[in-house]
Amino acid sequence: MVAPPVLYSGHEDFRMRLILATLSGRAIKIDRIRSDDMEPGLKDYEVSFLRLLEAITNGSVIEISYTGTAVVYKPGLIVNGAITHNCPLSRAVGYFLEPILLLAPFGKATLSLTLKGVTSNGIDLGVDTIRTALFPIYNKFGIMRQELRVIKRGAPPQGGGEVNVFLPHVVLQPTTLHAAVKTPPIVKIRGVAYSTRVSPASVNRIIEAARGVLSATGCETFVYSDVARGEESGKSPGFGVSLVAETRSGWCYTAESIGGPGETPEDVGERAARALLEEIAFGGMVCRCQVKSLIVLMVVGKEDIGKVLLGKGVIDEGFVRLLRDIKTMWGTEVRIKEQEALDEEDEQADGPEEYVVSIKGVGFVNSTKKAA
Amino acid sequence: MEQENKAHRAVRKKSQKRTVHNGQNARAFAVAAPRRLERQARRSHDVKEKRFHVPMVDRTPEEPPPVIVAVVGPPGTGKTTLIKSLVRRYTKHTLSDIRGPVTVVSGKRRRLTFVECANDMNSMIDIAKIADLVLLMIDGNFGFEMETMEFLNILAPHGFPRILGVTTHLDLFKSPATLRASKKRLKHRLWTEVYKGAKLFYFSGVMNGRYPDREILNLARFISVMKFRPLKWRNEHSYLLADRIVDITHPADIERNPKIDRKITLYGYVHGTPLPAHNARVHVPGIGDLTVSEVERLPDPCPTPYQEKKEVEEGKIKRRKRLDDRLKVIYAPMSDVGGVLIDKDAVYIDVGHRSFVEGEEKGVGERLVVGLQNAQTTLGAGGAGIRLFSGAGALNEFKQERVEDDDVHKGDTGRKVRREGRSISGESYDTDLGNDDEGYDKDEDEDEDDADAEEEAYSKSMASRLAEDDEDQGEEFVFADSDSDLVDYDDVDEFDADSGDLRWKSNLADRALNDYKTGRRKWDIGKLLYLDHISPEDVIKRWKSEELSSTVEDGDEDDIENNSSDSETGDHGDDFFKKRENSSIHPADAEVIDRTIPVYDDEVLKDKWSGAASTALASLKGRFLTGQTDDDEDDEINSSDFDSEDDEEFGDFEDLETGEAVTGASAQKEKEENTGEEEEETLKEKSYEKERELNARKKEKLRLRFEEEEEQEDDGLGDDDPEKKLYDTWHDAQKAKITKQREINKAEFDEMDSVTRERIEGYRAGQYVRIVIDDIPCEFIETLDPTFPVIIGSLLASEDRLGFLQVRIKRHRWHKKILKSNDPVIFSLGWRRFQSIPIYTTSDSRTRNRMLKYTPEHLHCTGTFYGPLIAPNTGFCAVQSVANKAATGAFRIAATGIVLDVDQSVQIVKKLKLVGTPYKIFKNTAFIQGMFNSALEVAKFEGATVKTVSGIRGQIKRALSKPEGHYRATFEDKILMSAVDIIILRAWYPIQPRKLYNPVTSLLLNEKTEWQGMRLTGEIRHEKGLSVPQVKDSDYTTIERAVRRFNPLRVPNSIRSGLPFKSQIAMMKPQKKETYLQKRAVVLGGTEKRKRDMMQKVMTIRNEQVRKRQEKKNERKVAYQKKIAEDEEKRKERERKDKREFFKRQGKKRGASESGGGGKRHRVSDE
Repeated sequence: MVAPPVLYSGHEDFRMRLILATLSGRAIKIDRIRSDDMEPGLKDYEVSFLRLLEAITNGSVIEISYTGTAVVYKPGLIVNGAITHNCPLSRAVGYFLEPILLLAPFGKATLSLTLKGVTSNGIDLGVDTIRTALFPIYNKFGIMRQELRVIKRGAPPQGGGEVNVFLPHVVLQPTTLHAAVKTPPIVKIRGVAYSTRVSPASVNRIIEAARGVLSATGCETFVYSDVARGEESGKSPGFGVSLVAETRSGWCYTAESIGGPGETPEDVGERAARALLEEIAFGGMVCRCQVKSLIVLMVVGKEDIGKVLLGKGVIDEGFVRLLRDIKTMWGTEVRIKEQEALDEEDEQADGPEEYVVSIKGVGFVNSTKKAA
Repeated sequence: MEQENKAHRAVRKKSQKRTVHNGQNARAFAVAAPRRLERQARRSHDVKEKRFHVPMVDRTPEEPPPVIVAVVGPPGTGKTTLIKSLVRRYTKHTLSDIRGPVTVVSGKRRRLTFVECANDMNSMIDIAKIADLVLLMIDGNFGFEMETMEFLNILAPHGFPRILGVTTHLDLFKSPATLRASKKRLKHRLWTEVYKGAKLFYFSGVMNGRYPDREILNLARFISVMKFRPLKWRNEHSYLLADRIVDITHPADIERNPKIDRKITLYGYVHGTPLPAHNARVHVPGIGDLTVSEVERLPDPCPTPYQEKKEVEEGKIKRRKRLDDRLKVIYAPMSDVGGVLIDKDAVYIDVGHRSFVEGEEKGVGERLVVGLQNAQTTLGAGGAGIRLFSGAGALNEFKQERVEDDDVHKGDTGRKVRREGRSISGESYDTDLGNDDEGYDKDEDEDEDDADAEEEAYSKSMASRLAEDDEDQGEEFVFADSDSDLVDYDDVDEFDADSGDLRWKSNLADRALNDYKTGRRKWDIGKLLYLDHISPEDVIKRWKSEELSSTVEDGDEDDIENNSSDSETGDHGDDFFKKRENSSIHPADAEVIDRTIPVYDDEVLKDKWSGAASTALASLKGRFLTGQTDDDEDDEINSSDFDSEDDEEFGDFEDLETGEAVTGASAQKEKEENTGEEEEETLKEKSYEKERELNARKKEKLRLRFEEEEEQEDDGLGDDDPEKKLYDTWHDAQKAKITKQREINKAEFDEMDSVTRERIEGYRAGQYVRIVIDDIPCEFIETLDPTFPVIIGSLLASEDRLGFLQVRIKRHRWHKKILKSNDPVIFSLGWRRFQSIPIYTTSDSRTRNRMLKYTPEHLHCTGTFYGPLIAPNTGFCAVQSVANKAATGAFRIAATGIVLDVDQSVQIVKKLKLVGTPYKIFKNTAFIQGMFNSALEVAKFEGATVKTVSGIRGQIKRALSKPEGHYRATFEDKILMSAVDIIILRAWYPIQPRKLYNPVTSLLLNEKTEWQGMRLTGEIRHEKGLSVPQVKDSDYTTIERAVRRFNPLRVPNSIRSGLPFKSQIAMMKPQKKETYLQKRAVVLGGTEKRKRDMMQKVMTIRNEQVRKRQEKKNERKVAYQKKIAEDEEKRKERERKDKREFFKRQGKKRGASESGGGGKRHRVSDE
């Protein structure tokens, strides 16, 4: 009687596929996970993510094949609760937190998650970016009151960071989004520059460098400095910055950068600032690291049409793959249409090329939520 | 923010007449009765508040599906007659027998689907879930019956649709007074069941097999103006009532294995939300969960006049010349009506049964055929030949050209295989076939489309074609020539004449090449997105028009795909044995590690965003709303002069806070300036004036834009965003929001073409669709009975898994039996009907869920069972059996309730009391035996609280080493070593509900009303004649309690002497002297003696009187008892007689129903 599992192959979008499966309640089978690789099968962080998924759900069945190249996942119900998870050092906590943010609002109870490991590594979203740039996206869908506290910062490779996320808001379904009229003007740029186990001066140098690049925009810029000391500075030295360009209506663009080996704080600051400008230049409502969460939240909505404006640069391979995964899971498709100029003499003529993505929600209801 | 005010209304002039109250002291006359005023205000507010409903989205499309009108009632109440009468009223069509749903057009924009509900619990449950309007048939002469009450109670938990009561058989009342009284009684009973003021129709007798026209007309009118409120479940699910079911399994497969799973098509109107286009999961109650393999939209078999009018306006069909009664459409494929039926698999023509009467031939055709039948000689034998057309000559030779047409050769056996699409143009019109062939083709093509509309277009095209034929005989047709003629045959001419290929595919490559040559190909992302054979990387590359390594030479997508994958490996030469890289599995390196932060190329970014030459930066400036900028920057900008003509549009901005507008050049420009290009500047000085003007205009525009942006922010709702407006109530705001969302949806969907729309939205309500389902058990088709409704209800993704449901449940107060934990019950929840085993629990002050043996009386309790997960707040009802055989005449709805919570595991505990006895008691310590069997068990309960029967609390301390299972416990007081103080340990034992989910597969049975699932233990015992096993310990025995004697408290002297004075026990010494009372002697005498004597006599007399009176009374009593007994005997006799009569009547009623159609019974009036 139960529908057969959805088949995927390959290891890309591993997290997203599991998330979609959990939200839709359909079993999935992922095979050929790095089957041609020198080290075949699941990586430690992927297994760790599966463990975390098992912890926040009830009744999930995870079967990993002997070689680790195939996974069968039968999702249970999202129950949340108070969970502590040790993340492997190969990925930052953002790798685990980003998908969990999508699940937690549709669970049975509130989620209080403590993640231990690397707080930002330049590959996965840093904790500051999640707080300042990802939470506002959720607020747009009526999912509020998220709290993220950085108890300890942990730079790669040794990590030692600790983050506590409290997600108290459990909703039936996200509200339908309508954001397809015009790209909002940016009113301010904010950011956090942080360092662990290095001279506090490096933070100021990052800030100076970033402001140097951003001053050309003429936008009000303020970057906070967060110098972790003693206990709260993890095990490795490191520094980085997370920048957010905010609009008045709550949308934001973000970019972040961390110091690599042999890099000066100036390099890091300038790189982040330029990346931010690049993201802003794409146009649309969101930047590339927010778009996946946004699309998923739009899909699991009421059976109404929601719209969002996306820059051309934001629509990339990952985006296409996500839409295809969504189609195999729910059978729903999106419509992408070029945004026409609001009026003929609009100055958007040589502005970014933008597209309106209209999505009909799948009529999702959080069925685990208890009746009042 | 704008505030909307009411339009100004002129103040009404106060009348000049001054009343006394308008005097100085206005306050004195303000309110005469404040309490009453308050009450009135409160009441009016209450009334207003009651009108509010939770705002619910109405998803009814513009062209709504037919209203499902269910006719429900016990057998013999005239359901079939009512449907016949109504159908007759709407269509002037008399149905002889009704099988399955009947759809009729009832108004300009409304269609009705009538469906009769059989007298069967399964049908009643299914119908209750889909009916929009219920016509509740009540035998007026008999009153409400159990089925009616059951149906009403099924309706309630599944969302109440509209209900109209219809009483029939009112002609059987002999006196008007009884009729009136009976009507009133029925009406009030209905009101208590439905709502006060529910409409009840009274139908008198049947005339000509129908109810009186006037009464039917009234009912029809009432139905036509009825409005329907969306119901929650139906607003979230799509469903359809199958009005046609066809088995399309390959006959050879069936022949090979008659029990093979069948592939069937189901037809019906979509209701509720749109039906997903791909692999929708559905539940068919009575069969189970299934996957739809294919959905296809078909032309509406029963369109409303409004829809037709709209199609005429859009030019889809031709306008009808006149409207006659025949056009009042009826669609009932399973009954005996209908004309031509078209679908993908076949075309069916109903030729009618009684249309032709021999000797009364109507038209030329009939006469011709009859003439031919009566002809003495066989065809062609006469030698005269056949003249097919009046103008043509007689045909003598018969050339057999084509054998392909099945219809002609098989005669009336009907078509067995799918009809091949054939082109009108092409070989069938080879001119050498002659005229006769064309006439022949015409008939065939015609039945594919709507007859009237197409005929004309066809004949026109034929005419032109014939004309052409005459002109150039033997010349081949070119497609392009015929296209203009064949506009109406889009579906036909897409097929290539000989190969059957799609024509548009034929020279795709050439066309694509042309496209490519003429201009840069621009891909539509919407199309590319879901072409699975193109890898996401290619999609993006192509869409962004980046160079692919392979040039897009040919347009065929498959070819492109091959080329591109070739090109990847192409660099390494033509190594045949090279391992093929699968692009979809190994994407670019960046994706391999599933990163979120995109990869940036530092060098590119550096070039782009830094340095004075950054045009990108300049163009980005318009995106920022600059506030107070840094001083140096301001100065820089302010000091800058106007510059070259090619001033960037985004170079200027405005300082909003100061209100000062600054025309800024980009940094780049300034730098250029500073390097000293003065000569250019001087050149441009003349145009300064002009430029200033231009800039001023720009600034103004910019300012307006920013203001506008600030005002409206950026949500898509524009000016009339409900959030922005002020509404009186929350309710109004919600309603406005819903309306707005509806408009957005509509606008968005209207933009799409129908194919895209179906893909994105699905098949929306009101569309007539054909659903193909593979793998349906063959029993469904073999035992198909159209009188049992077949419903296809879509399932949400989350409803497709099993788990534990926690429900709030209450035994129905009319249900006779008590519900017991672990007894199987059939639930009707969501679309499904299934048997499961619930455990009833109660919450012990929210600390635990304690199992109950039985449902409590008149109270809700919690139930937990295994089943498909349905969202909380969904209502359900439960029955113990759905089989008609098991019906005892008692009320069958066992319980109703709602879902509270779903989960994959549950925690239910059962109370467990362990009992032990003390065998050695020290002061507060005692040794207990008989509670545990081993020291290990004791160890588990160390520290647990125990209690004696008398209420002394204690704690388990430690297991004793010697006798296994004995332990030491301490108590708050010394316990007694007797039967009274046994030791009790209260523990909680976790239990799991049994995982039974058994869908009711009634539609797969031969006798669909007799489904039987798992039986109750009691039923099995009863059938097998087994007795309930008795545990000896559970037997009740009389408890003999010896009276306990407690000796008086004695305090030893030694202690007493030591006690302080306060605590001294006051004890008196026994008296030694005799008291006065002991000493005196009493002797009677004098008056006292006389008095006593007197009293003695009086009492004797009195006693005698009383005795006599009592005797008399007893005599009377005996007589009275005798009379009472006689009366009782008489009453019992009368009741027996009544009962006999009642069951005689009842038996007749049931007997009729069981012997077939309800309405056929012979009614006996009580004469």
